[in-house]
Amino acid sequence: MIEINVALQHDQIIELLNHYNQDGVTFSFKEKKGIHLYFETNSEDLEKACKIAKEAIKKQPWGSVLFFQVNPVT
Amino acid sequence: MDAIIKWMEKYFLPVASKIGGQKHLVALRDAFIGMIPATMAGSVAVMINAIIRDLPPQFFDSYDGNSIPVIRDIITINGYVWNGTLAIAGLIFVFSWGYNIARAYGVNELSGGIVSTAATLAGIKFSFSGTISGLNLDSATVDAINQAGWAATSSDITANAWGWIPLNNLDANLFFTAMIIGFVATMIFVKLMLKDITIKLPESVPPAVSKAFASIIPATAALYVVSIFYYIFAKLVPDMTFLEWIQKTIAQPLLGLSQGYWAVFVCALFVQLFWFFGIHGPNVLAPVLEGVFGVAQVTNVNLFQQGGADLVIQEGYKWVRGSFDAYGWYGGSGGTIVLILALLLFSKRKDYKTVARLSIGPGIFNINEPILFGLPIVLNPIMFIPFLVAPVISISIGYFATALGWVAPVSQSVAWVTPPLLLSFLATGADWRAPLVTLVGMAVAFLIWIPFVMMANKLDPAAGEAGEDKQ
Repeated sequence: MIEINVALQHDQIIELLNHYNQDGVTFSFKEKKGIHLYFETNSEDLEKACKIAKEAIKKQPWGSVLFFQVNPVT
Repeated sequence: MDAIIKWMEKYFLPVASKIGGQKHLVALRDAFIGMIPATMAGSVAVMINAIIRDLPPQFFDSYDGNSIPVIRDIITINGYVWNGTLAIAGLIFVFSWGYNIARAYGVNELSGGIVSTAATLAGIKFSFSGTISGLNLDSATVDAINQAGWAATSSDITANAWGWIPLNNLDANLFFTAMIIGFVATMIFVKLMLKDITIKLPESVPPAVSKAFASIIPATAALYVVSIFYYIFAKLVPDMTFLEWIQKTIAQPLLGLSQGYWAVFVCALFVQLFWFFGIHGPNVLAPVLEGVFGVAQVTNVNLFQQGGADLVIQEGYKWVRGSFDAYGWYGGSGGTIVLILALLLFSKRKDYKTVARLSIGPGIFNINEPILFGLPIVLNPIMFIPFLVAPVISISIGYFATALGWVAPVSQSVAWVTPPLLLSFLATGADWRAPLVTLVGMAVAFLIWIPFVMMANKLDPAAGEAGEDKQ
């Protein structure tokens, strides 16, 4: 599982990652706790999954100014 | 809070995204970042000289680093480093600027940098002129000087020479001219490249050659357009170059405006406001923080190299980019290192104390994501007021201490991960008063945070679990 800490654009990030499917990596929104969003991922390499999620968010028009963190959750 | 978040997402974030994602502003930000290898090397050189040449005389009147072997050699070597970096910061910037604009449009970046550099330098001074008056020269001396190519009378000598570029046309003074001319020239180049108005060579030609040839027509067109502009400008304003005109009409007024307290206040406040709502404040405000305050900082660094803190005080800028880090962003944006201390001393919440303990290590190096997201501070109504007010007041203390001459202005570029107090000491060219000013700011910020930390105790039903666990 990965954790995304972000204040804004929760709906957009959930939509983005739920529909993400490249190089065999997918995400599935699990739950939200305040500013923390949790996603299951089929990738065994959580660090790689975090990097993919971060890049996907940064590519969005609003992504470059968003302050957020992506961390693996073991 | 949900309503505020929705409002922010609907109205505020799109505007912030437009500013933060605007192609040319991003290229400008990246142009300044691209200079870091040079500006950091130069800053290290100036900082070492500050410590071994300028700091000791503050305590020992008879100290002269230039007369001590090894010390003298190190000072000289640092001088060479400065020559190749900060002394020509404008030249380095103009290439980085053109490079990044071209990259933003996906065309030949190297050619973009070259076009930007050539176009900007085409209009600077290529000669020097200086006069010495009040002399009493005999006719033989006057004749000899006149024959050598200078102009002399019995009372004056005027030296004129072509082929000399004044250093003050290549340093921070070049920045604003480079932003304008470099932008225009590179955009002409980019547009022609994108329209494919290029020389096309056969596929068998090596890529490096065909790429360079493809850039010829767009680059030549851009340079001629800019040169025609310089020609017309020289006809309209014959007594100064375009660079001198930009300095007088745009750069100096803009930089002057940045030195007012309210400009600093608004910048500091908006950075905090952006961070609170989860938007990267310095990224959005980069055009101001780097484009204006950053330019002022380069000027200060060069002045320091030439004449120490005294020259910076006389001719430099009171508030520059590094001043925010030195006096308000200790522990990271928001001055969160003092919040960590307040949490450890006054919080009764187990979760807050845990986050504080985990945040100490990164906080010492001004990394505060753990506490911004961990507490969290972001979107936490209890933290809104202190997160905005504490750093702004701390920055105000630094501002007025500098403006009143109680501490030297920031005149060194110091890596932002340098621990607090040490950062302000180094940033001011080893002024021992700077950490004291930072400490005063930190103390005031600490006092601002305390009541809100205690308020958070009262709002948490689980407060006191730490005490129960110990029993």
